[in-house]
Amino acid sequence: MSDHTSTGDGHAPGELDMGHHHVSSPAMFLSVLLALLFLTFITVVVAQFDFGSANMLIAMGIASIKASLVIAFFMHLKYDTAINKLVFMSSFLFLSLLFIFTLGDLFTRRLDHELHTTKSPVDLEWSHPSTLDGDH
Amino acid sequence: MSHDDHHGVMIPAPGPEFVAHEVAHHFSTPVQEFQAGKLGFWLFLATEILLFGGLFAAYFYFHEVFPETFRVGGQQLDWRLGALNTSVLLLSSWTMAMGVRSAQTSQKSKTMIYLVLTVLGALGFMVIKFIEYSAKNEHGLIVFSELFSGYDEVTGQVAWFKDYHGVMKDVAHGHMFFAIYLTMTAIHGLHVIIGAIAIIYVLYGTSKGRYHAGYYLPVDLAGLYWHLVDLIWIFLFPLLYLVP
Repeated sequence: MSDHTSTGDGHAPGELDMGHHHVSSPAMFLSVLLALLFLTFITVVVAQFDFGSANMLIAMGIASIKASLVIAFFMHLKYDTAINKLVFMSSFLFLSLLFIFTLGDLFTRRLDHELHTTKSPVDLEWSHPSTLDGDH
Repeated sequence: MSHDDHHGVMIPAPGPEFVAHEVAHHFSTPVQEFQAGKLGFWLFLATEILLFGGLFAAYFYFHEVFPETFRVGGQQLDWRLGALNTSVLLLSSWTMAMGVRSAQTSQKSKTMIYLVLTVLGALGFMVIKFIEYSAKNEHGLIVFSELFSGYDEVTGQVAWFKDYHGVMKDVAHGHMFFAIYLTMTAIHGLHVIIGAIAIIYVLYGTSKGRYHAGYYLPVDLAGLYWHLVDLIWIFLFPLLYLVP
């Protein structure tokens, strides 16, 4: 095959030259597997401690590292074409839009009713006692 | 390997146990066929991320609204089974990666062994999942026979949430955690089953000698799907079993 596309970064030692096809070494796959299993162990250990709201950040941080390893090496996106990288990684961009607006809604709600059936601050029929200042 | 501008470019078989691949007539080169297949599949995987992303958004929302419900709910799941299932999926992701590599290097019997191991991983995962679901059914946390029965007139609760042992009685809307748990793990489990079917399909093709260094696209795509299943579970495990 005459094409030599997408081997832009050359090939690391132990990796074969397959033209446009990237073949990773078994040693690399094994290191990734061991790293993933080790990070799973860390996830379980960290969950035994109470760091308050930081627990969520820590758990999602470790999960993101694991996910990056799977995407980059098992799915070999690291060695894939620029357009494939763009297409797949753009899904996380759109996902962040969903998260930002969802969490934006959450943080502008009042969750103090016992059923958590909350009303927006702009609803004039409802005011939280602590916000009553006698103007009404 | 050589090809010209005529229709039906042939990729020759690298050995007697393989068959030659004819590039589909609407592609002019093998590389074009390979890259078109990959691009389409990555696009599909992007939509899968968005499908699960909606469920994750629901998780984060209700986790914030009912933190106690999620904390107590998470304690009802056995994190050891969750960790076991995580390890099973990670191992099967590794066997899949090795299977794709064996196909890329025209090692037919090795490819088949790795693909069989991956399917066994999928089976193991579903068996463990079944054990977990059965326990939830027994404790009345997810009564599967009542799943589509609507609301219970007496308790005013969803009919599938009986909570026989009262483990969720001190928290608001105990069923919320299990609704999210069931929805996320069931859709994920569906992907495990579809992934296993895809792998069995390429396993059959491998046995026929269709996949080798010159043409391994279907093995590669089944692999990408399987890694996506692993990718989703990497986030589900800490969120559901070790509720932060």
